[in-house]
Amino acid sequence: MGVTAILFWILSSLALLSAIMIVVSKNPVHSVLWLILVFFAISGHYLLLNAQFLAIVNIIVYAGAIMVLFLYVLMLIDLKKIVDPQRSLWIKLVGVATGCCLLLVLIAALSKADQTTALTQTIGGNIGLVENLGKILFSEYLVPFEISSILFLSAMVGAVVIGKK
Amino acid sequence: MNALIVTAVLGVMMMFSSIVLKRNSAIRMLAIVGLLFTFIANVLDSSGVHFFSINIKGMMHFDQFAYFFISISIFCTFIFFLLSAKEMERIGVNYSEYFALIFFILCGIILVASFTSLLILFLGIEIISIPLYILTGSDKKNLKSNEASLKYFLLGAFSTGIMLMGIALFYGSTGSFSVENSVVIAATTSPMLLIGILLLLFSMSFKVSAAPFHFWAPDVYDGAPTVFTSFMATIVKAAAFIAFIRLFSLAFTPLQDRWQLIVAVIIALTLFVGNITAVFQQSVKRMLAYSSIAQSGFMLMALLAFNTFSVEGILLYIVAYSISTMGIFSVLVKMKDSSLEEFNGFAKHQPVLAVALTVFLLSLAGIPLTAGFLSKFYMLKAVMHSGNFLWLIIFAVLMAAVSVYYYFRIIQVMFFKESDSNTIIVSTSFKWLLSALAIIIIVLGVYPQLLLQFLV
Repeated sequence: MGVTAILFWILSSLALLSAIMIVVSKNPVHSVLWLILVFFAISGHYLLLNAQFLAIVNIIVYAGAIMVLFLYVLMLIDLKKIVDPQRSLWIKLVGVATGCCLLLVLIAALSKADQTTALTQTIGGNIGLVENLGKILFSEYLVPFEISSILFLSAMVGAVVIGKK
Repeated sequence: MNALIVTAVLGVMMMFSSIVLKRNSAIRMLAIVGLLFTFIANVLDSSGVHFFSINIKGMMHFDQFAYFFISISIFCTFIFFLLSAKEMERIGVNYSEYFALIFFILCGIILVASFTSLLILFLGIEIISIPLYILTGSDKKNLKSNEASLKYFLLGAFSTGIMLMGIALFYGSTGSFSVENSVVIAATTSPMLLIGILLLLFSMSFKVSAAPFHFWAPDVYDGAPTVFTSFMATIVKAAAFIAFIRLFSLAFTPLQDRWQLIVAVIIALTLFVGNITAVFQQSVKRMLAYSSIAQSGFMLMALLAFNTFSVEGILLYIVAYSISTMGIFSVLVKMKDSSLEEFNGFAKHQPVLAVALTVFLLSLAGIPLTAGFLSKFYMLKAVMHSGNFLWLIIFAVLMAAVSVYYYFRIIQVMFFKESDSNTIIVSTSFKWLLSALAIIIIVLGVYPQLLLQFLV
């Protein structure tokens, strides 16, 4: 068992553990913090699969931007007022059934996946490297890349127009 | 490509113009001159004078149709500036920013008129949409404007998501972003491609406000400041149509028999919902919103038949519809509110304007001798030539007859009702301009080749 395989198992168990903790913990703020841990663990998996860019973007976008949004929403709600409502048996049953359906779909899809043996791939498959992405972005897709600057500029102008008194 | 870069630079210039130019009239002048320059740049581009040489890697293709449509939309924006740019002052303090946003929208219009890659289509649609969300909500103290903006933003973002999913499925099944027949033919059997096409169809139907994806349109058109409603219901809508038709005529013709019936049903629904609901409206602004939904039913007919009639018809339709609607809105924006009573006895106070408005309304209703009649005729003829959908043609004619009712109601109120002493103040140049537009409508209705000769 190499280093990468050990890392894989550690990250996997970490991700699963924190995912369970999200659901189990009573305090929503704790749930969000556990969710951040899940994102970091998954980013670690991306790194093991030689997808640097995806790993970085996952941390920046999910663990950064979206988590901050979640925390803001939690700040806006008064957590003390919300008491856990007693759900009826039927709702619980429906929840279990839908969860099982999703599980079934996931198992069916993953059981036919190509590589069930190789857990990690740190060499080869260079598509996910930042270098390759940059190269293709500044050669093949240069025009759309430049045009998107107009999109962001117009969004910024709009934000100023809306935000200014 | 000239016009694309010129509009982008002009947008940035307008953004900073308020630092240098203190007077609103100077900013307005700069915008109008800039627009004229864009028009010249585009005409030069179409006759072979390119300011820039950029390798666009086959992601855009400027053919004669694209150049012509870009010229038309720049011209219509020019008319819009002349008619209503002054009214934008009343909305808020960010006068120059409004112009900047409009120039950015033009940039998006140029993109969607010339794309050959789904990537460019997406960017174009977004560059059009995001400034529009802002313009809709630019009347910040008005609750209705805020509500319209938020609604438009949420629904627009949702439909963009659907479009992205469609593009992703298209890419997944064909392995390419490029909008070509050959790419689609290679993957015709793939169910993923069909779902992708359907999602693209739905999201584009949303952008052109075709039923049953039209629910945002009345609220947004009603809530937005009237000046911007007149811009988004005409020029922007026309651009969405061009994008829609370009996408489906370039790429999806091999699968025509799969989606044409859906389009026909969408058209019939759009005509029905738009016309029938417009009958019951008391506010002229809201009535025009529903009328724009009804008109888009006719414009969508270009999707059912790709032949010379539909190509000429859609351009004529866009010009006729845009000029008429902008003309009516430009008068509406000067009134106190947009109820029908405001038009009582309008012909007594402003005979010239009333006659011009009558021409616009007749054109929208599709009465002969106006451009509106010929454009409707071209669209029906195009569908007729494609051989199918006779039921749709009959239904469309019936619905056009219904539309006569609500357009004529305004004419009737203008000429045959007594007024209660409310008049609007207009300048002489405004009267001249509106009369000139009415004359354009009539001339195009008699001699459409005047416009269509440029489309060689």
